[in-house]
Amino acid sequence: MKMNKFTLLALAIGLIFTSCTNDDDPVDEIKGVYDNGMLIVNEGNFFQGNASVSYVSNDYSVVENNIFNNVNSRLLGDTAQSIAFTDELAYIVVNVSQKIEVVDRYSFTSIATIDAGLTNPRYMAFANGKGYVTDWGDGGSALDDVVAVIDLATNTVESSISVGEGPEQILAKNGKLYVSHKGGWSTNNIVSVIDAATKTVQTITVNDVPDEMVFNQAGELVVLCEGATQYDANWNPTGHTDGSLVRINVANNSIVSTLIFNNGIYPSLMAYADGKLYYQAGSKIYTINDAATSLPTESIINDSFYGLAVNDNMLYGTKTDFTAGTGDLLIYDLSSKSLTTTKSLKVGAAKIYFN
Amino acid sequence: MKKIILIFFFASTCLHGRAQSITDSIQVLDEIVLSDSKLIHYASGVNQSVLNDSILKNNSRSLTSLLAFNSNLYFKENGYGMVSSPSFRGTNASQTAVIWNGININSQLNGQADFNTLSSSNFNSISIRSGGGSVQYGSGAIGGSIHLNNKLAFNTHFENTVEASYGSFNTKQTGFKSSFGTNLFSVNFGLFYVDSDNDYKFLGTNKVNENGAFENLNLNVNLGYFISKNDVLKLYSQSYIGEREFSGTLVAPARSKYEDENYRNMLEWVRISGMFNSSLKAGHLQEVFKYFENKNTDNYTFGKVNTYFINHSLNVRLSEKLQFKTILDYNSYEGAGSSFGNPKRDAFSTTILLNHKVTEKLSYGLNLRKDFTSGFESPFVYSLDAAYQVTDTYKILMNGSKNYRVPTFNDLYWNPGGNLDLVPESSYQLDFGQQLHFEYFNFKLNGYYIHTEDLIQWTPNNSGVWSPKNVTESQSYGAELEMESYYRVKAHQFKFNAHYSYTVSENMETKKQLIYVPFHKANTSFSYGHKKFNMYYQHMYNGEVSIIGSTLTGYNVGNMGLGYSLNENGHINYEINFKINNLYNTYYENVALRPMPNRNYQIQTIIKF
Repeated sequence: MKMNKFTLLALAIGLIFTSCTNDDDPVDEIKGVYDNGMLIVNEGNFFQGNASVSYVSNDYSVVENNIFNNVNSRLLGDTAQSIAFTDELAYIVVNVSQKIEVVDRYSFTSIATIDAGLTNPRYMAFANGKGYVTDWGDGGSALDDVVAVIDLATNTVESSISVGEGPEQILAKNGKLYVSHKGGWSTNNIVSVIDAATKTVQTITVNDVPDEMVFNQAGELVVLCEGATQYDANWNPTGHTDGSLVRINVANNSIVSTLIFNNGIYPSLMAYADGKLYYQAGSKIYTINDAATSLPTESIINDSFYGLAVNDNMLYGTKTDFTAGTGDLLIYDLSSKSLTTTKSLKVGAAKIYFN
Repeated sequence: MKKIILIFFFASTCLHGRAQSITDSIQVLDEIVLSDSKLIHYASGVNQSVLNDSILKNNSRSLTSLLAFNSNLYFKENGYGMVSSPSFRGTNASQTAVIWNGININSQLNGQADFNTLSSSNFNSISIRSGGGSVQYGSGAIGGSIHLNNKLAFNTHFENTVEASYGSFNTKQTGFKSSFGTNLFSVNFGLFYVDSDNDYKFLGTNKVNENGAFENLNLNVNLGYFISKNDVLKLYSQSYIGEREFSGTLVAPARSKYEDENYRNMLEWVRISGMFNSSLKAGHLQEVFKYFENKNTDNYTFGKVNTYFINHSLNVRLSEKLQFKTILDYNSYEGAGSSFGNPKRDAFSTTILLNHKVTEKLSYGLNLRKDFTSGFESPFVYSLDAAYQVTDTYKILMNGSKNYRVPTFNDLYWNPGGNLDLVPESSYQLDFGQQLHFEYFNFKLNGYYIHTEDLIQWTPNNSGVWSPKNVTESQSYGAELEMESYYRVKAHQFKFNAHYSYTVSENMETKKQLIYVPFHKANTSFSYGHKKFNMYYQHMYNGEVSIIGSTLTGYNVGNMGLGYSLNENGHINYEINFKINNLYNTYYENVALRPMPNRNYQIQTIIKF
């Protein structure tokens, strides 16, 4: 693994040299050993301190696990949740460690650690020259949930914006932040819209447990609501609320359409590429166009994952066995809808990012 | 607290007057002294190690340290003073039964007993019974059982002990014990309090154990009274009240707090009449916890279980050689908690134990039990054991047993995730032991095989919700070695003991060693006494263990202590002890990323009168 990294580095240096001597022949500069590949978050086991990040090159020939540890000679932390990127940097949100590790996104060299002022950080986005981090506060409290504002120059929490219970994913567009409120330890059914400059918060009510969000080619915000199990006072399940796919017009925050899943089906993961939305429901993967007015009945892949991404007509899914301590990346060709490759990652293999 | 003490003194003075009038020609039987005589009489072929007063006295008041250094038990401790769970023979903590005066006290919530909620100070003897014991002790006695016993001494005595100690990390311990008895009446009382900042340095880092402070109180009161020549009434009571911050790890800061309380009360009526001994017990156990995610807020989650039990046993001694015992036992459990509503469970069991001494040298036992538990089918369990004294010094022991563990309230009802379709774990076990007894030296060697199926394991499903399932099959086998030696030359006394266990415990499917089961664990202690002076050294080696996706390095830890007695023959006796724990200042983790304390010191005074 290390060997491969050095080979790549040597190759990269070689390429830079080549590009310097052939100015008229433009070659994509390789910005670091972890360029031209995927970064995958391995959450690790809760409270076991074994979170990590893996790199898989675009041609799948190079797989390197534990890259943060390999580069910086220290553990990443406990329960890595997500990564957010600026042009140069990657911000790894480490939930149980209550911190964000800031690294160079291509070399993974540590730049800073933001470890003060965060309690239960989940996801991060950038707007208005600042970072915005969703934070549940104490899981058991519905009143201390915030979006923490990060000063990117000093890598410190400069202020916070109070929001509803359980802020989860966060996307930025045109100076606005869109936050899905999955509900933390509880459940919720809102999307918060925050004006980054004025910090004013509006909410849009959707279905229960909104988690994954994307902007489609029509510019709509698409929110996947998982639906919730309902319980009686003795915690006996009494039923389900509906999961849904909600499209929101961000010009006026109105709901364009709501496609409801069959009762008891919990849709979970979502990815978007080339005008098509992909989601997981009932242990299968489905795809749907931006304009579709009903949910598809036929799945495209009969498999289920812990993390999902689509790029260049390839579908990437992670799987993990928390007990055995293993994680895998499965790569499906969307043309043939067949599994092409499986790569071994680490425990809690989850979110996939293209670097 | 004051009320209890007052009642106790009042009761003792009242009863004292009546004591002389009744006959004192009473045979002191195990049934009277102990609440759990089957531990002695129905275990011919079972290896038991007893830690008596002298070991309990010299060692740490922490039951975790005491047993880690003086038995083959392996402990998983979430940082010093935090939740500590015992296991042996490659099983887990919920497959290890903890028995208080004959009653199983494993939590109904998670199936385990937390050894940092029990102080060794308040028990007269601690027995470790290796191997399956579900027939005698019910659910969870798969790897073995640990017995915490209070003895009632029916002889004329009045003894008091006060102890106080101070040590590193601002650790303060205070204890008071009193024992009073006549031939008709016996009472003992024990109070033990510990308070520690527990803010030890994580060696090799600039961090300290920031959120690890704890304090707790243990109170035991045990009473026995002969209401007639043949009838004894006994009351056993134990309370624990504790508050702990929960330590974080090297990479996870902590801010949580845990408050828990345990109350155990049992009334027993023993009747002895010729060949029949009858014992009727009724009691109540309560466990309560409050978990504060953030110690600075008032928000908490809680769990609580009340257990009511009634138990009758009848022992029939047909001859000097043949006896049997029948046991009827009824338990009713009522739970309540933030995460599981108000579940209830009833359990009834019927047991028969038989012991036959065929000759002076050969004895065997046959034991059967059937449980009837609301909600699911419990297996019929049985065991057979035999012992043969080959020569004066050499003895062979054998036993085989079928054992089980019922799902806990958490397994069944935890929401989300609880699974009502679980069945009990079931296990069978074979055990072969050899023992050598010489005047100055004892040696025990045991080999065993355990096969367990329907192991309950929590795994996440596709929507990320953790849920328990009867998934795994496991097997353990290994060997356990125990040695002890005692030697005296004039006024010099030497004592030595050593334990070693080799344990293979694997998932039958993956053939991998289960996590947190060391292949090798060993310990040894050596003590020397001369007149008023005594000293000891103890050492433990805990081998490497597998953890999820990795391994955790093994470690060696040594402790030593010095003691001096003043006025040894006078009415009031003083002792002063000085202890150094982790003598070599070793960095070690018992659970991954949770460093244990660096070298630390303790000074203790004990006054006896």
